[in-house]
Amino acid sequence: MSRVFITGLGFITSIGNDASCVETSLRELRHGLITYPPFQKDSIPVKVAAPVREFTTSAPDAEDWTIPAPYYVKREVLRSLGPNALYALCAMQQAVADARLQPEDVSNEDTGLYAASAGSPGIMTRYLNRLHELGPMRCPPLGVVASIAGTVQFNLVAQFKIKGASTGFSSACASSAHALGFACDEIKWGRQKRMFVVGAEDGDADTILPFASMRALSLNPDPETASRPFDKGRDGFVGTGGGAVLVLESEAEVMRRGVTPYAEVLGWGQASDGHNVAISHPEGLGLAQAMRRALTDSGLKAAQIDYINAHATSTPIGDVSECRALRAVLGEHASRVAVSSTKALTGHGLSLAGAMESAFCALAIRSGFTPGSAHISELDPECAGLNIVRTTSSVAPAIVLNNSSGFGGANVCVALRRVA
Amino acid sequence: MSSTGLPSLDFSAVEVQVREALRRCTPATVEAALEYRKSGDVTQLPAVIFGIVERYVDPSVRARLSADGVEDLRVVEDLGLDSLTIMEVVMLVEEVVLVTISNNDLRELRTLGDIKTFVDCRARGVEPPKPPKRYDAGAILAVMPIQPPFLFLNEATVSATQATATYRITGEEFFLAGHFKGNPVMPASLMLEALGQLGVFHLLSGLVQEPGKKVDAGTIFFASTDGVRCSRVCRPGDVLTLTLKPKRIKAPLVTFEGYVHVEKEKAVVAEEITLTFGLVDEIAPVAEVPGLGLSSGVEPVLASAS
Repeated sequence: MSRVFITGLGFITSIGNDASCVETSLRELRHGLITYPPFQKDSIPVKVAAPVREFTTSAPDAEDWTIPAPYYVKREVLRSLGPNALYALCAMQQAVADARLQPEDVSNEDTGLYAASAGSPGIMTRYLNRLHELGPMRCPPLGVVASIAGTVQFNLVAQFKIKGASTGFSSACASSAHALGFACDEIKWGRQKRMFVVGAEDGDADTILPFASMRALSLNPDPETASRPFDKGRDGFVGTGGGAVLVLESEAEVMRRGVTPYAEVLGWGQASDGHNVAISHPEGLGLAQAMRRALTDSGLKAAQIDYINAHATSTPIGDVSECRALRAVLGEHASRVAVSSTKALTGHGLSLAGAMESAFCALAIRSGFTPGSAHISELDPECAGLNIVRTTSSVAPAIVLNNSSGFGGANVCVALRRVA
Repeated sequence: MSSTGLPSLDFSAVEVQVREALRRCTPATVEAALEYRKSGDVTQLPAVIFGIVERYVDPSVRARLSADGVEDLRVVEDLGLDSLTIMEVVMLVEEVVLVTISNNDLRELRTLGDIKTFVDCRARGVEPPKPPKRYDAGAILAVMPIQPPFLFLNEATVSATQATATYRITGEEFFLAGHFKGNPVMPASLMLEALGQLGVFHLLSGLVQEPGKKVDAGTIFFASTDGVRCSRVCRPGDVLTLTLKPKRIKAPLVTFEGYVHVEKEKAVVAEEITLTFGLVDEIAPVAEVPGLGLSSGVEPVLASAS
């Protein structure tokens, strides 16, 4: 079995469009939430979102979008991209450069790409409206490619001439964590030497607002406090979008290319709640089991864990479930292990979340800091016994877990280790 | 085309829709489209179609659209449009000009000229001309009275208004050993010969017909040429692109204008090349030369060589 390393990262997120910006935001707890203009209508009770900056992708015609330098996308590429695939494309360029990959390293039979996105509901809506209005033959030929759930891998695989394994994962907010786990296995088992892991979401009104009627979104109009996982006053999540890319490579490739990895992916685990289609198990049974499996897969004990990047989205029910799962798994170490949710800063990226937050962890491991959990003014008593860290410290974590949970009670936990 | 070109009671709605659809096209394109929609004036159509194509062509090749010979530009090979982009071009043309272009029609439209002619015919309500047929080396060999080592056509495309062919100078041609000593150059006279051979093939491809008659392959001869200018030396490795356009056809004479290019470079111009030919009675309804459809209405088998 090969060891697996993270050798490159790319970020288009609400807290920064490159690694150094993201690191500054994490260190200084700068959030990406704003009073989101598309929500400022009487019919919409939600007011805050965490959109990607510098890009504007709200126009129905992609040729009217704003794409900041240094990125340039030709029309023939743009026509099959939703906002999610555009963000992913830009993050992918960063990750390829960051990992110092040559074109032949990217395009070969031993290099694959796993991605996650929920598709592009905005593009799908405009497409279907046009189809109903003008008939099927008057619709953009690539509308379906740009809008269905596989759009991110369709586009990136074609653009980067990926020749190895490629597919997408669809477990809602656990999707890109699943992508990371299975990509890790591809390398471990020797099927691939290198995998790109991509999470991306549009993060616009059409992506976020469908969560309003299930009462999952925060109605707090103040961007400074709307996303506050583990706080007693939390009332739901704040939506975000963007793209995050991790480059995973086998030990042999790391040695051959002589690069310094961010971190090692030790292993991962997954388990399901078997409980409810949209509500997490009250005791966090599935998540606890996923964490135990990640530890077993990685040959770790709870005593070794330094930091856990929690899934905690700032919903009243979900955060409590996760606290119970954390206590169950950490046992006597619960009061020591640092826990935070970076969603206080970024908002919740849905299919983007797992990849984005594992990338944050990789950054924290290499740069030597432990991200804090922002916006907690009164800790929820349900968090008793856990070490929820409220500020970023310069403690360099050696062993890190990243949790993700999705609809249907899907839970994933990924374990990372500092490379000495 | 009852809906086309009729002044609408509410033209402002049409204008808004056309301006929206063409908002990435040049103002001249928009004006031509509006004029067409207002008056039905089909002379506006080339400007509309070229304007729409230009909008989809990558900026790096747009300059080609303002050079000479725009109609001969091949949509895929010369302008770099892939089949999906061609689909986008077609959809916009359909939306603005109010014509319908089927997938089958679309497959046959290779050049800007093809598209222009097709849309023009549809807008006028007449049947578009038969699409050009493509023939490979075997198909050419099967009908030509001229044979190797003196045949200078590798493949050909023939329509009523134009014939094109290519010939690659291999360097193995017998005459190159002496033309010139140690310096192989395709003789200019043989480049004219190649154009003449394409004229023969054009005559034999069944497009020149009188009822009950067909061209007799044994009666075609060179008659005259005029206004010949050679401007490029052609050597082994060059691929000659031969082009003939019929100017006058009336038995027993056919006159073409002809060109030879190597890539975009002009090598030979012949203002007139005239061949004589004889007609014979058609004997059987079945084509003598299988597949070329000389007389029958059957779809030529060899056309599938494309």
